[in-house]
Amino acid sequence: MLNTNDLEQRWLRYKIKSYIPHAIIFLSVILILSLISLFMNKEPKIKEVDNNFNIHNVLNEESQNKEFILKETSIKKSHKQEIKPQERVEIPKQNNKMTISPSLDFMRQMQENTQTYFETNPEHKPVKKEKSHGVKPTPKPTPLAKKEEKVFYEEPQEEQIEKKSKSIKITRQNTHDDIKEVVTRFNKNNNPALSLFIAKKYYELGDYHKSYNYALITNEINNDIESSWIIFAKSLVKLNEKAMAIKVLKQYIQHSNSNRASLLLDKITSGKFK
Amino acid sequence: MNLSIYQNSKNVFLDIVNAKDYIQLDRVSTIYQSLKNSIKKPLKMVLLYGKPGTGKSMFLNKLYHDLSTTQEVFIYQTPILDESEFLKTLAHDIFRVQYRGDINFTQFMKMVDLSKLNSTPIILLDEAQLYSNQLMEKIRLLSDTRSVKFVITLHKTEKEDLIAKEHFQTRIWESIELENASSSELKIYIQKKLMKANCFDSANMFNAKSVNLIHKLTNGNYRDTNKLLYTLFDLYISYYQNQNIKDLNTNQVSHKLIEMSAIHTGLIDA
Repeated sequence: MLNTNDLEQRWLRYKIKSYIPHAIIFLSVILILSLISLFMNKEPKIKEVDNNFNIHNVLNEESQNKEFILKETSIKKSHKQEIKPQERVEIPKQNNKMTISPSLDFMRQMQENTQTYFETNPEHKPVKKEKSHGVKPTPKPTPLAKKEEKVFYEEPQEEQIEKKSKSIKITRQNTHDDIKEVVTRFNKNNNPALSLFIAKKYYELGDYHKSYNYALITNEINNDIESSWIIFAKSLVKLNEKAMAIKVLKQYIQHSNSNRASLLLDKITSGKFK
Repeated sequence: MNLSIYQNSKNVFLDIVNAKDYIQLDRVSTIYQSLKNSIKKPLKMVLLYGKPGTGKSMFLNKLYHDLSTTQEVFIYQTPILDESEFLKTLAHDIFRVQYRGDINFTQFMKMVDLSKLNSTPIILLDEAQLYSNQLMEKIRLLSDTRSVKFVITLHKTEKEDLIAKEHFQTRIWESIELENASSSELKIYIQKKLMKANCFDSANMFNAKSVNLIHKLTNGNYRDTNKLLYTLFDLYISYYQNQNIKDLNTNQVSHKLIEMSAIHTGLIDA
């Protein structure tokens, strides 16, 4: 009679042994498949991350560019005080949405500002129109920057005295700080053109004492500048020194036979200029 | 099923060579018919070869059983390795001469020349690979006289192939190879064998799946199949006696028991 218990145990060991290779193959296949799926899933994720990274980079770069551009434009337009600080803050926030709409706002502002500028300077109207035709409301930041550069190049024509200087400096002429800058420059080189410019600006601002002083300085450096004598006389009138102004003009007219000085003298004596 | 069915089924697969247990299979029948036809031809020798357990001995027994009624045929299932004893046995069977002393090949050949036989006797030699080269050479010379016809069986191994080449290459006119059974042949073999012993219930237990497993384990070898099935039914008897037969499905052969039988018989190394 056979020992069935022993045979069953041997059979059980045999079955376990026979299943081991299958189990190994099965586990290997699962492992390989899981690795493949893991690898396949990872690739798109990496791409997504890269895309995000790029987008963020682009956004940051764009926002930085926009901020830079905005700062420049805000400096340029500061004399008109039309750009509010809140608007500047809002623009980068919009940039976070990965849209270039802030640039369009900027464009509108640019167009508005340039228009007002050219309205006060009729001579440059044709130039402005030509440039405005070249401006396209495209979302790309690069053309916008180019446009801005073009606008800046126009502005040096505004003041012939500062033709060779940068446009940013010209836009600062109407502020007291900017006049101080010109004063500093004048102190360095004693250029009568700069002192005359300072005298004119102070006169426009209503500071007649300073306009008188700078006109006097200009005349001491060069006594043949007609505009300097006229500003000098006008400042004297404004300082209630009408007699002195008439006397100075008469002496200058005798010296130079200036028509503009003669006209001003007539206006002062007739009481048209006060 | 009761115990007696398992016991009868077990006995069916006892590893014994009996012509009555010969199972008629299509391919085997064709081979057997060609062997019978070869015997009728004027051939000096017929070689029957194949791997162990392919049914060579059964073939030889069946041939002896069928031919013995019609013509003079002698079968030597156990090889007679001593030359004198072999020749004395031949002299006794063919010429009815009883030699008391030794006999040499020359004396036997004189006896063959002097004798006048009505028909050519057929000598069936099983396990011929066990005969010495010298004796095989003398068997060849004896067959050349055409006084005696030999049908010999050989195991098909490299060594036996060499013997066949050396001694029979130019003399054998007919060689028949026996092969292992296919899966379908094995199923027929098992079921026919069981039904021959009236074990119909156990014959029905063998379906294609279980026979495929048996074929996988035995490679279609008849001897291994007999051993395996003998052990299988022995296991069924053990389970029956241990009251564990309820755990088994008796409608079909348990694959577990087939594998356990294979472990017991050494077909599975566990």
